[in-house]
Amino acid sequence: MKSIVAVSRDVAFTSMLERLFGEKHKVIIFSSLNLALDYIYNSIPDILLVDFVQANPSAATVVSDLKSDSIFGQVSVIGVFGQDQEMPHNTVLPIDDYLRCPPDERELEARIELCIGRSDRVVETNPLTRLPGNITILKQIQHRLETSVIFAMAWIDIDYFKPFNDKYGFARGDEVLKMLGRLVLNTVRQKQPQGSFVGHIGGDDFVFIVNHEIMEEVAQDIIDNFRSIIPTFYDSEDRARGCIESVDREGTHRTFPIMGLSIGMTHNSQRQFKHYGEMAETASEMKKFAKMCGGGCFKTDKRVV
Amino acid sequence: MDIQALRLQIERIDTLPTVPSVLKKLLKVIENPKVSLNEIGSFITSDPVLTSRVLKLVNSPVYGFPGRISSVSQALILLGMNVVRGLLLGVSVFEVMQKSMIGLWEHSIGTAITARIIAQQKGIPEPEEVSVAALLHDIGKVVLSLKFPDEYAGVIADAEKKGTFIFEAEKNHFSVNHAEAGGWIAQKWNFPRSLVEVIEYHHKPSLSKTMVVQSSIVHLADILVRAKGFGYAGDNFVPALNPAALQILNISEAELSGIVLEMDSALSHADDFLMQDD
Repeated sequence: MKSIVAVSRDVAFTSMLERLFGEKHKVIIFSSLNLALDYIYNSIPDILLVDFVQANPSAATVVSDLKSDSIFGQVSVIGVFGQDQEMPHNTVLPIDDYLRCPPDERELEARIELCIGRSDRVVETNPLTRLPGNITILKQIQHRLETSVIFAMAWIDIDYFKPFNDKYGFARGDEVLKMLGRLVLNTVRQKQPQGSFVGHIGGDDFVFIVNHEIMEEVAQDIIDNFRSIIPTFYDSEDRARGCIESVDREGTHRTFPIMGLSIGMTHNSQRQFKHYGEMAETASEMKKFAKMCGGGCFKTDKRVV
Repeated sequence: MDIQALRLQIERIDTLPTVPSVLKKLLKVIENPKVSLNEIGSFITSDPVLTSRVLKLVNSPVYGFPGRISSVSQALILLGMNVVRGLLLGVSVFEVMQKSMIGLWEHSIGTAITARIIAQQKGIPEPEEVSVAALLHDIGKVVLSLKFPDEYAGVIADAEKKGTFIFEAEKNHFSVNHAEAGGWIAQKWNFPRSLVEVIEYHHKPSLSKTMVVQSSIVHLADILVRAKGFGYAGDNFVPALNPAALQILNISEAELSGIVLEMDSALSHADDFLMQDD
C-alpha cells in the first residue's frame, strides 16, 4: 500500500484516481498545493500528482523547493498538464514524470505503477561505491531474520586505512573504497549469484550476506583478492618498502604496513537473533577481534545461544 | 601529417579488432555457462587486443580508479563475469586482414611468455605486469595498420626494399614509430604508467624514466623471440640488442642460455595456439 497525494481542482480527474487506485493505495486529494504541504511534510507520500492546468503560478516554486530538500526529494512527482500546455524545463520544474489531461485510464494506471516500481527499485546508495547503504542493509537483514532464513552476515573493515588516507589524501582513499566495493560485489556474486547481498555502511566499512556454509571461503577470497590488488594503490617506493610513514590517531609518526582486510562474521544457524542491531553488533565485535589478531584475517562467531 | 594531428587521429580509436582464429575460440569461451574467471583470464591474456580492451575498461574513470590496474586477473575480479562477457561479445575482427597480423599475434604472445621468464629469473616483484606489457608492446603496429592500412602496407614494403627495420621506415613515413604510437593509445586509455612506459621504450629501454628494468626485459624478450623465429614482427632481420639493456639487467651468459632453454619449452606449448581450430 502506497500513499498518493493528488493536487487538482479537476473533479473528473480526481474521481478517476480514486476509482483506479482507491482500493490498492491510499489516495488523498487536495485542491491546492499550499493546503497539501502540511500533509506532505508530516507523512511524506510515495507519489505526488500536481495538476498544473489551473495551478497557482507559485506551484512550480513549491515543487522545486520540495524536490531540493533531501528528505522530500525521494517523493515521485508527476506533473499533469493540458493537451497544448507548455511544460517548463526540468531545471525550473524538477518532476519525475508527466501526464496530459484528460489522461487515458490505462496510461494513468501504467504511469503511476511505473513510478511506484521505480522508487522501489531505487535503493539509497552510497554515492562513492553505488552500493546500497544503511537503510537497505538493515531491511535486507531484518527481512531474512523475520522470514527465518539461515544466513551469514559479514562486516569488512580495512586495516590501516586512516594512515593511508592521511598520507595520500582523500582522493586516493576514495579510489581504494571504490575498488573494494567492486571487489566484494564480484567476489560474493561469483560464489553465490542468488540470495547474496553487498552493502556499504560508510567509510571503510562494508557488509555482505551469503549462505553460512560458504562464508569463510568467500571471506578468504575477498582477503586474498584485496591483498593482490592493493599494492598498486601505493607509490612505487612505498610498495617496494612494504610500508608507509604516516601519523597515528595520537598524532605520532610511525610506519604502517600495506593495508589488509579484517572481516567479522556471524550467522543464525546455531543462535537466534531478534533484530538487525543484535546481529550487526556481533559481526562488528568479531571484526574487532580479527583486528586484534593483527588484521588481514576473518573471525567467525562460534557461540551457541 | 604533423605529429599532433596524427596523435589526435590515433587517440580517436576506441577499440581494436582481433584476428579471426581468436574470435572463433572466443565464442566457445563465452557460450560456455560454466567457464571460470581463471579460464577466461588465461584466454584473454593470450591476445593483445582482448587484454587491451579489458584494461581500458577497468582503468576508465567510470570505475573510479583510473591508471591503477595492469593485470588481467585483477581486472576480471573488479569488472565481474557479466561485464567481461558483455565486453567480449562486442569484439570484432579485422575487416581487411593483412597476413602479417597472425605473425604479429604470435610474436606478441611469445614476447609475453619470454618476458615473464626473464622477470622471474631476475626476481622482479610483479612478473605478470611485465608479461602484460610485453604482450602489448607492439600494440602501436596494430593501431597504425588499422588506422592507415594502405600507408602501413607501404611502410612494410619500403622497409623490405631498402633493407631497413620497420620502426625506421615508420619513423620516415609517420615521423613516429609504433612504440610512440602505442604509448599514445595506452596513455589515452588510462593504462598504468608502468605499461605506457614499457610500450613506449621497448626499443630504447635506457631512456625510460621509471621502468628501466621492465623496459629492458621486454626489449630483450622481443629480440630473443625474433631470434628464435617464433612469430613474425614484420622484419626479416633481427634488430641488434641494445647494449644498455643487457647492462641494466646484468645478465650473465649462463643466465641467458638458461632463459633461452626455458623459452624453448614454454614456446613449444604456445606454438600452435593461434593455428589450432579446436
